[in-house]
Amino acid sequence: MSTTTREESDVKSPAAAEQQIADEVLRINIDASATSPTVLFLTSGIFWLLVGSALGVIVSLKFNLPEWLGSTPALTFGRLRPVHLNTVTYGWISLAGCGVIVWLVGRLCRVEIRWRGLLYASAVLWNLGLLVGSTLVIAGYSGGMEWLEFPLPAAAIIALAFVLFAASIFKTFSVRQVEHVYVSLWYILASLIWFPILYLVANSGAYQGVGEAAMNWWYGHNAITMWFTPIGLAAAYYFIPKVIGRPIYSYYLGLLGFWSFALFYNWNGLHHLVGGPLPTWAITVSIVASLMMFVPVMAVAVNHHMTALGHLSIVKYSPTLRFVVFGAMSYTAVSFQGSLEATRTVQEVVHFTHFTVAHAHFAMYAFVTMILFGSVYYIMPRIAKWEWPYPTLIKTHFWLSALGVAIYVIALTVGGWLQGLAINNPTHPFIEAVNITKSYLWARSIGGTMMTLGNLLFAYHFALVVYRAGPRRFAPAWMQKVVEVPSE
Amino acid sequence: MTLLPAAIVIVAVAVVGGALALAAFFWALRHKQFSIKQINEGAFVIFDSVEHVGKPTDMTFKKPLADTDEHNHA
Repeated sequence: MSTTTREESDVKSPAAAEQQIADEVLRINIDASATSPTVLFLTSGIFWLLVGSALGVIVSLKFNLPEWLGSTPALTFGRLRPVHLNTVTYGWISLAGCGVIVWLVGRLCRVEIRWRGLLYASAVLWNLGLLVGSTLVIAGYSGGMEWLEFPLPAAAIIALAFVLFAASIFKTFSVRQVEHVYVSLWYILASLIWFPILYLVANSGAYQGVGEAAMNWWYGHNAITMWFTPIGLAAAYYFIPKVIGRPIYSYYLGLLGFWSFALFYNWNGLHHLVGGPLPTWAITVSIVASLMMFVPVMAVAVNHHMTALGHLSIVKYSPTLRFVVFGAMSYTAVSFQGSLEATRTVQEVVHFTHFTVAHAHFAMYAFVTMILFGSVYYIMPRIAKWEWPYPTLIKTHFWLSALGVAIYVIALTVGGWLQGLAINNPTHPFIEAVNITKSYLWARSIGGTMMTLGNLLFAYHFALVVYRAGPRRFAPAWMQKVVEVPSE
Repeated sequence: MTLLPAAIVIVAVAVVGGALALAAFFWALRHKQFSIKQINEGAFVIFDSVEHVGKPTDMTFKKPLADTDEHNHA
């Protein structure tokens, strides 16, 4: 497959035509090799998205109706909330992320996916791990630490699934037909090394007491940043330039962003324990690293913005670009918020409040999930050979998700801040800090319900494409009606 | 009692992680991933002769617009 390094029109010389046919055939073969594992991972991920979303709404409503479902131990907040967290992160984002990674790696390495049997085994084991973990937590056998609630048997199964997945990806990478490692590949390959280290260390059981708390927040923060974030950034670095048809604005910035990301991000986490019984220097190191994150974040933000500049009209009609640009903008915003949130002044107010919950959803939904949605909108028609049947559903999905997460994040950010101020005021009784959040918690439930409805529409639409059902479209499923589409 | 296993894990992870990072960096240097030529051409590897620069691709079942910005969207 040739690499086109300059803008050019479709030339029609025999050699060029031959090259185009070769490129087309190669791309079709690569996509075909990725189809089954990608669909398997995406389908699994979407299943867990629905499970996790439903649990999220139930858990949110428990803040509004504290007695609701409170008499059955398996349905109490302390059991459902961890299952919500684990199913959306290790279920939806991880599995859908794996699906996107498989497809991207084939495209970026320009080879068919290798060791696909390992991918199938990985998907099966991963789902088994989620099922075992969720069941055990519901039954009351939680690990007890946030992000690490799944007991050891479930964690071990997921770790094995991850190793199998990584083996296939590295094998494919090793036989790549492209000399240069594109910036998306750097993020993907690095995350395949970072996450197992994090996961194995966190589940090693070598910590107790204060050390366990430190490890817990080091893991909790870095699971987001060293696994979920690279998936989102890798997809954004591919889909924004690809959809627009324009190379990334500054490739230098792209690489600077990656290596500074790798250098600074894993020092984060302990800022969550400001005021806790840890050495001050350890927390300070984490705060400094959080502020240093301005470097990679700015590199990514400038790159994405400048790439899209002048082509924003495509955001109007392209589902992929609409979702991915929303996610990329959210990445910039949530990262800036995170850096400021890490400082002692802010952290002393927001810690132990709903502000942190808003921040987590800002990252996991507004950033990563929206980019995953955009990626799926791009990938599925190509591998299923079936266009999305209902553009209106895509549009409704976008607005339910975007408005839902906006309501959720804004409400809990404001409510959490007020809650923190009330908690820190010794003249106020604690119950005031609770009462002050009530209206914001209703807004949270409304926002969460909207996101869940959007997820349901997305799942239904996805199923139609997988089964090649619904009206067959011979035009792109754009979000705006295009008046004129010139033929080539 | 609790410090030793934690210290062993942390030191081991630091050594392994650092070694992997250095190995990746030197691998990249040895394979000229940061050469001017590769960096200048790196951004173009996602394109080919069919899906080339200047061609928006989010339109699977229709020929692409030559320049999307020049077309009106209802």
